[in-house]
Amino acid sequence: MTIQTFGNEHPLTTDKDISSETFWRQNFQERDQTFAWLRKNAPVSWHKPLENPLLPPEVHGQAGFWAVTLAEDIRFVSLNHEQFSNALGGISFRPLLPGMFPPVSFLEMDPPDHTRYRQIMSAAFTPRAVARINAKIEERAVQIVSDLVGAGDIDVVEDLSAKLPMLIVADMLGVSESLTHTFATAGERLIGGLADPDIRPEGVSLPDFIGEQMRILREIGVDLVSFRRTHPGDDVATALADAEFDGRRLSDDEITSVMQLFSIAGNDTTTQTTSWSILQMDRNPDQRTWLAEDFDGRIASAVEEFVRHASPVLQFARTATQDVELGGQQIQQGDKVVIFYCSGNRDETVFEDPHRFDLSRGRTPHVGFGGGGVHYCLGNGLAKAELRALFREILTRLPKLEVTGEPELLFNEFTHGIRHLSARTN
Amino acid sequence: MKVVVDRNRCTGIGICDSIAPDIFEVGDDGALIVHGDDFDSEQVAEAVRSCPARALSLKD
Repeated sequence: MTIQTFGNEHPLTTDKDISSETFWRQNFQERDQTFAWLRKNAPVSWHKPLENPLLPPEVHGQAGFWAVTLAEDIRFVSLNHEQFSNALGGISFRPLLPGMFPPVSFLEMDPPDHTRYRQIMSAAFTPRAVARINAKIEERAVQIVSDLVGAGDIDVVEDLSAKLPMLIVADMLGVSESLTHTFATAGERLIGGLADPDIRPEGVSLPDFIGEQMRILREIGVDLVSFRRTHPGDDVATALADAEFDGRRLSDDEITSVMQLFSIAGNDTTTQTTSWSILQMDRNPDQRTWLAEDFDGRIASAVEEFVRHASPVLQFARTATQDVELGGQQIQQGDKVVIFYCSGNRDETVFEDPHRFDLSRGRTPHVGFGGGGVHYCLGNGLAKAELRALFREILTRLPKLEVTGEPELLFNEFTHGIRHLSARTN
Repeated sequence: MKVVVDRNRCTGIGICDSIAPDIFEVGDDGALIVHGDDFDSEQVAEAVRSCPARALSLKD
């Protein structure tokens, strides 16, 4: 079956702009004024492709995209992977040229390929598996926060939020303690390099910078998996070592792509959620007090709100495999369909006063881990365990933590990010 | 009430397991195991409602 992707033209359905660089240079709240209008008046709407001066439409050839803005429609698209494919045209809202980046592992597959990959990983992410490594997560969180007691002025992102996730990814993969720092740094740079041009050393091109980080991740991953073939352990590397597809072992490329997915998906998402939650608790001290009053009883509900409110991943794209009607619009086979989690998580038909940071909302149908279905965040339980461990330490060991400046924001169409956040610990 | 698992939808995400661990267990292969067969608790109802894959339902 050959389906032509992204070429179908459609008339614009509104005069709203969510395609320009100017739009994406606004902050989350400003952007949501447009999304709020779309949710109310045109929940599914056709737009010009995302603007990218380096890769104009006459080069990438994409006609545009459908924006899906309501939580319920995001769920519909997510649950129906037969109609909305991850493999066919990738998951990038930003138009790319074919082969520009390697596929992001099983995130860019559909069942049944996706299912085989996901099953290799799933043992490491079940609630019971997460419970087994919880002690390690807590130990790491205690160490990170202890180091900050009495530290004075800190950068929340670098000194606090970014530390735990990459260490835990390394622990889960089975990276040895001596390589954990190298691994974590490469992972951080890979993400940072993609999201933020400022972290690259001067004179180093993006492909070279990314390539170097990928090389480090690949070397560590391939060595580790090969070691686990003779010395099995209780980690993801062992699962990868044991995995066989049609009687053959995973190739080095396949191992690398899993390492890459892990370091991207397991890292920046939790980092950003941590930074935003620290900022929101600083701005809403009543919420901090409410949580501290009964941490064990309230943290589960609080963590759901951390993720909903932060919405660390703004969107993912799908490709329609057939003609389908959604939100009163006729989507055509081959069209790009972008599900805006950032909008779904502010959907006023689901969340009362959606911009309010309210830790007592309880378990809500937010789309912060995705809209459900086969691509729902595999690491959701792990992320919750990390946030629980970290905030327990923050609330008890850093009771006077105070944000001292405005957040320096990261502006792009993929991450809801904070680059720097100044704070004082005592 | 019985819990019905739609195996085509369930991906072993484990929200049910985290809400009602005595009843639901995601095995190491990612397959969901339901312990017992007659349920009448708000906890189980919540687990069914909360499934992000909409793979769970209750049946008399």
